[in-house]
Amino acid sequence: MRIVIAEDAAVIRAGLAEILTDRGHEIVAAVGDAEALKDAVAADQPDVAIVDVRMPPSHTDEGLRAAIAIRRDHPGVGILVFSQYIETRYAADLLATGSGGLGYLLKDRVADVAEFTDAISRIAAGGTALDPEVVSGLLNASRHASILGTLTAREQDVLALMAEGRSNSAIADRIFVSERAVEKHISNIFTRLNLPPSDSDHRRVLAVLAYLGT
Amino acid sequence: MTIADGRPAATMNDNQNMTEPPASPAWGAPFAKRSWAELRYALVTLPLAIAAVAFIVPMLYNGILWAASADGVWKLGAASRFLARKLLGEDVPAPPRPRSVASYKVRTKDGARLAKAAQEAGGKTRVWEGQPGVTVRRLPPARIAELAAAAGITIDGMQPSSAFLSWTGGRTTDPVTWRARAYFGLKLPLAVVGLVVAAVCWLGGLYYLTFPAWWSLGLHNTLGFHITTIGVAFSLCPVGAALLVTGPWLLHGVTNVDCWLIRGLLGPSSPAERIRALEESRAIAVDDAAARLRGIERDLHDGAQAQLVALSMKLGLARDKLTGDGQVDLGRVTGLVEDAHRGLLEAIIDLRTLARGIHPPVLDQGLADALGTLATRSAIPVELVTNIPERPSDAIETMAYFSAAELLTNVAKHSGARHATLEAVHVPGLLRIRVTDDGLGGARAVPGGGLCGLADRVRAVDGRVDIESPRGGPTTVTVELPSRA
Repeated sequence: MRIVIAEDAAVIRAGLAEILTDRGHEIVAAVGDAEALKDAVAADQPDVAIVDVRMPPSHTDEGLRAAIAIRRDHPGVGILVFSQYIETRYAADLLATGSGGLGYLLKDRVADVAEFTDAISRIAAGGTALDPEVVSGLLNASRHASILGTLTAREQDVLALMAEGRSNSAIADRIFVSERAVEKHISNIFTRLNLPPSDSDHRRVLAVLAYLGT
Repeated sequence: MTIADGRPAATMNDNQNMTEPPASPAWGAPFAKRSWAELRYALVTLPLAIAAVAFIVPMLYNGILWAASADGVWKLGAASRFLARKLLGEDVPAPPRPRSVASYKVRTKDGARLAKAAQEAGGKTRVWEGQPGVTVRRLPPARIAELAAAAGITIDGMQPSSAFLSWTGGRTTDPVTWRARAYFGLKLPLAVVGLVVAAVCWLGGLYYLTFPAWWSLGLHNTLGFHITTIGVAFSLCPVGAALLVTGPWLLHGVTNVDCWLIRGLLGPSSPAERIRALEESRAIAVDDAAARLRGIERDLHDGAQAQLVALSMKLGLARDKLTGDGQVDLGRVTGLVEDAHRGLLEAIIDLRTLARGIHPPVLDQGLADALGTLATRSAIPVELVTNIPERPSDAIETMAYFSAAELLTNVAKHSGARHATLEAVHVPGLLRIRVTDDGLGGARAVPGGGLCGLADRVRAVDGRVDIESPRGGPTTVTVELPSRA
């Protein structure tokens, strides 16, 4: 994959580049601020851009705003927003642009290299990769919190994993049950929440997030 | 220059107190240090008084100009206080600066009753004609709402006046500014009297004291008297001596009047003004605390946190290499672990630096030890002089430490000095930190700059910062703090 990295901390920029090249990806640009990021995306049309939220000059949410602008101007470019904090508000702003080809992960997640590169591949393929913290934040903030409370504990786990953008088989691996069982949980959830059933991973996420009222 | 003020903190000053005579015995006045200080003061403040009156009088034309000149008048007052403090040791705290005072338009059916309640609470009011409501000045909105609630009055809406009206409203009637104007009105004639005394007594005194010399050179004017012999010429010498002795006493009287005026007209007068000054310094203290927390968060985010994330990447990759299928590239894994190790050490150093920046542990051993560590860590050689027989309160010690740290950093960064002295002296009630360097000088407190921020923080505990930094150096910055915050 062709990847652009926008991150102002040089150590993290270098670390990301090392991991991704190690996995056979091509780093087409590694930049330190939002303007350079937009230029690089426009010039190189990468498969995925990894974007830090806080970048110069103001160190607030430049990266986030750049990410939203890129999703508007270059819908084909997958975006992974990569940050040391999860802000539910930022997640909502991002998801308002649609959930396809989008990720929002805590920087710690990179410690699990396989999982991290898997998330990037998912984003590049038009899928979703949301941090569990993003999902739990959205679930807590949901205006349907009372109905969510009627789901069983297992169903809530499945819902959370589904919202993170995972496939049935990935969910099954995660909670140590068969894929059949996962399918059953999901159909229960969809019935309980009154969501139209759907197959593709991406559309499921959309459905869940739409329900969460982001 | 002097920044900061508040309650008059005890000051260490070489000058004598104002109420004392300039010299003892009386005939020693011309030689007393105090007399020369007062003469200098008289000569320096005359141009200031002329400039001030030239600025103030045209600005008396109308209300808008009153408001527009208020900040300038405050600065003129500050200059006068500065000169009085520098030259005479007369320490008058600064009154609050002119500020905008919003008035509030309150829509209510009980306008008259609310007006009465607001007046009793110290506000100024104007009940509207035509529609129900009242305009209230000098009370914050929360207080107005409280008064209304207490009297059972329903408020239908409250709206602050426009920014411009608040600005003019606060400045046209600002009592501090009007007192300062009055001061300069009185100061100008007083300064002229001072100059006349100085000219007649010092120049005249010297002239008559040395009259025989002028007489023998033919360079004299005796106001119509005809002086025929050297004897008569010599008889004028005592007149000169008398002028030289009485001059300092006359000038001392003039200076005393001036100091009295400064205290009465250029200082904060009422408790209300003192409260305003405290409000200002409290706002600074709160903002400063918030800014410090933001700074710490930023340092953590950009420093140790980033290091640790990078470290987790290295170790994650190394683990993958070790547990993956196929041949393990030991060289690569070793490289990754070494990188991670190095990153970890950097993170530890980062965290230590940050922790010390929050509260240096050595400060628990006392300020002298902490300043010692600070001095040895400085980039340029620092000579340390401490005399702290009794420990000030924790908060003051911390503030003193960070002030010293900031001043030494400034010296190392900006002054080009090769050597600095750090002095910390604690006498009952007052802790003085003084940093002197042999650098380029020209240090100034500019708004938004480091020295100004330091002065603001120090002011929040009723301390003060004094900067002496002529071009070409040397620079001396003195921070005076009360023993307890």
